[in-house]
Amino acid sequence: MSEAAMAVVKPEMKSYIWVQTVDGSLQQVEEEVAMFCPMICQERLQTGMGSSKNYAISLPQRVNPAIFGLILDYCRFHQAPGRSNKERKTFDEKFIRMDTKKLCELTSAADSLQLKPLVDLTSRALARIIEGKTPEEIREAFHLPDDLTEEEKLEPLRNMTDDPRIRLLNRLYARKRKELKERQKLKNVVVEEERVDDRSVDDLLSFINSVDGDTKGTKTSKNKKKNRRRKDHIKDPSSINTNENFNKGLNALPPLCHNGVANNVSEASTSNHLRMQNLATVSFSSKHEFVDGGDDDDLDPAMKEELDREVEDFARRLNSDWPERMQEILSLGQERRLVPISVNGNCSTQIYTGLDRR
Amino acid sequence: MQRMALSFPEEVLEHVFSFIRSERDRNVISLVCKSWYEIERWCRWRVFIGNCYAVSPMMVIKRFPEVRSISLKGKPHFADFNLVPEGWGGFVCPWIGAIAKAYPWLEEIRLKRMVITDESLELIARSFKNFKVLVLSSCEGFSTDGLAAIAANCRNLRELDLRESEVDDRNGHWLSHFPDSYTSLVSLNISCLGSEVSLSALERLIGRCPNLQTLRLNRAVPLDRLANLLARTPQLIEFGTGAYSSEIRPEVFSKLSGALSGCKQLRSLSGFWDVLPSYLPAIYPICSRLTSLNLSYATIQSLDLIKLVSQCHNLQRLWVLDYIEDAGLDALAVSCKDLRELRVFPSDPFALEPNVTLTEHGLVSVSEGCPKLQSVLYFCRQMSNAALITIARNRPNMTRFRLCIIEPRTPDYLTLQPLDAGFGAVVEYCKDLRRLSLSGLLTDRVFEYIGTYGKKLEMLSVAFAGDSDLGLHHILSGCDNLRKLEIRDCPFGDKALLANAAKLETMRSLWMSSCLVSYGACKLLGHKMPRLNVEVIDERGPPDSRPESCPVEKLYIYRTIAGPRLDMPDFVWTMEDDSEFRIS
Repeated sequence: MSEAAMAVVKPEMKSYIWVQTVDGSLQQVEEEVAMFCPMICQERLQTGMGSSKNYAISLPQRVNPAIFGLILDYCRFHQAPGRSNKERKTFDEKFIRMDTKKLCELTSAADSLQLKPLVDLTSRALARIIEGKTPEEIREAFHLPDDLTEEEKLEPLRNMTDDPRIRLLNRLYARKRKELKERQKLKNVVVEEERVDDRSVDDLLSFINSVDGDTKGTKTSKNKKKNRRRKDHIKDPSSINTNENFNKGLNALPPLCHNGVANNVSEASTSNHLRMQNLATVSFSSKHEFVDGGDDDDLDPAMKEELDREVEDFARRLNSDWPERMQEILSLGQERRLVPISVNGNCSTQIYTGLDRR
Repeated sequence: MQRMALSFPEEVLEHVFSFIRSERDRNVISLVCKSWYEIERWCRWRVFIGNCYAVSPMMVIKRFPEVRSISLKGKPHFADFNLVPEGWGGFVCPWIGAIAKAYPWLEEIRLKRMVITDESLELIARSFKNFKVLVLSSCEGFSTDGLAAIAANCRNLRELDLRESEVDDRNGHWLSHFPDSYTSLVSLNISCLGSEVSLSALERLIGRCPNLQTLRLNRAVPLDRLANLLARTPQLIEFGTGAYSSEIRPEVFSKLSGALSGCKQLRSLSGFWDVLPSYLPAIYPICSRLTSLNLSYATIQSLDLIKLVSQCHNLQRLWVLDYIEDAGLDALAVSCKDLRELRVFPSDPFALEPNVTLTEHGLVSVSEGCPKLQSVLYFCRQMSNAALITIARNRPNMTRFRLCIIEPRTPDYLTLQPLDAGFGAVVEYCKDLRRLSLSGLLTDRVFEYIGTYGKKLEMLSVAFAGDSDLGLHHILSGCDNLRKLEIRDCPFGDKALLANAAKLETMRSLWMSSCLVSYGACKLLGHKMPRLNVEVIDERGPPDSRPESCPVEKLYIYRTIAGPRLDMPDFVWTMEDDSEFRIS
């Protein structure tokens, strides 16, 4: 029979296909609804599977019967023609109201069926659940383990977590600095910045020549600066006098301290970084060296003791019975208790005059 | 308990994370568990580094391999007031060098208060094939040659924004380096440049860029050329004029007015150097559409300003000079009910006597009339506790409040009392206050209020205030969310700093200049806190050459996991976390 004839005879007849979920159970689903899922559509078209019980389409592992039911609800609604955008939106908003666990399962299942609109919908919903929560709250909501170490959890510096390897790098830096300072003292040479000079004579010559070019540029920009920052400059007019002193001081400095040398310094620091990197990679291979903590860079006990004594001495010299003093001062302060700021008719502030004798 | 992370494939979790944009939330995600940390770092697209010395380029690259957008800040905020000596730092060169190799697909670089050279700009131009956005905010160290390299090589550039940067402006030819085939410009801000750019090159450039939305010209662009420029870019949303004066010629006026009206999407105006008031009516037809107006360079008197703002019923942001006076602010309060942000700058801050009638009344008016006002920067010469209390009660939704009474230590002009109560009211009533700048006569009492009520405060600026260390102690011990603290000329010394040393690791940075912190305390702090860089900035010479009890000139403390920086000039010393004590 021709398709048109079939349609006339049995207009309500829907075509069904067979699917099998990961638990082995089989079910029949409306073909036009199921084909809304790209994965099922592809499977059906490419392999012809699904037309009978024995040749059911195997759904991906992440799709269990309950979740599949939900997905079919979604597909049934959205594949129907003639729905307005508003209707679709309303349906979606109601549809995703479910507990987090189910939402996760749904996202996962939709992804395996390549149903992108549903993946986006559920992903956004999950994102909204995550936003604004603390790590602990998220762990609870998603049943996640708390498996970062204390070190790893150190409060991030605006997006950076204190990776344990970074602390090792720090220690290496500190050791390197010490070495350089000691070498410096031995040689009694005044070094402007810490850099290792392994450039050729040609490099040095071109550096010297380029410095002259840079200082010209820098001087012009400095002069401009005095006039330019008008509106911000006046945080405080008394700053003007101090500025004059600054400028005098700056003019006394040799040109090397301007941007000219900054480039080389930065290069030096990059090369230092890279060398640190090399040192670090060598050390990482023998992990056990760094297992033991301690901030003192493997100082021998006698040195450590000397350090501790010096610190104590210092603390004393700075009058560090301060904690007790602080308590005293704080308790004095509390006698002048904070009076709530109230406003009577004429905004009188007489309450405060008694306390603040200025 | 079901281990959800296992059944969730990484790509799906990545997809979920792609809808989470805020820095804070991304931070939080990385702290949930090991697998989320790993997944998050691989799909982190955008990195913001508030202090370029807090972390090293290598660390960032190692942790986030797929970065497309990087933002860096260098010098401390007080550099804007010339308190940070030239050459202090903020050199971006090592960053550019590292990311040029590591992120070939980088699209965006945003820098603030950093030093960038032409070499770095050339490296950017060569290294990133898909480079789209360059924002240099208050930067320096480069010339128009570097800009030429960017223009010539960045085929996909969308945004070039030089706001407030100091550029060695050699000539205007750099603009001609944009090839004829280049059409992707969306935003161009050259308002800080001094020299003339080739106007015909500019006209051709904007004429062939159909997506241009923002165009901020520099002072050198004459008024009579504006109409031609605007005619080529009727889709413009934000526009900054050049010098706003010319010989009075009726056809210039009508052409300009017509061209402005022709830009139906225009919402934001700026520029207005050297204003000739008779040309102001040219913008009247579009005033009702404007949401943002920057008149901070415009020497327009109060009456003209009143005529202007009275027509800007949809204005949300206004930056203006104090020529607006109290009368103008009254008009603003009546006409601009949608106002969210107001900045009033001083026209003549160094005058001993006030040159305009701008007092606390103006600000009180606006606080009464504008229910959405949440961000204020206000320079004035007199203030009272009563006014501050009124403002605070009117606007509990205030989030940023910066008051700059021009003369330091000015008391309440009505009662001659300190302004403690007034600022106390601000922190008490404005519970979402995130940023506060203090001025006027202030005792330790105001800090007690701030420590008690300023729980959401993130940034605090203090100058010429307080009596003793107790003031600083209140801030450090009370303000739970404090990130940036900058202090100048206050009698704060060692004790509060040392007693609250641990707090400093929870903040981005602390700046103290012309205070009473001794060199010895700095050393102690540096020794005890290895994750802080304690920088002593002193142009008088090495601090070692003076007694340890001697106060340092300036102190900049910031948390870091990169160790002390290696690019310091010779007037900056970082306190070592060991070995300073080893001198024997």
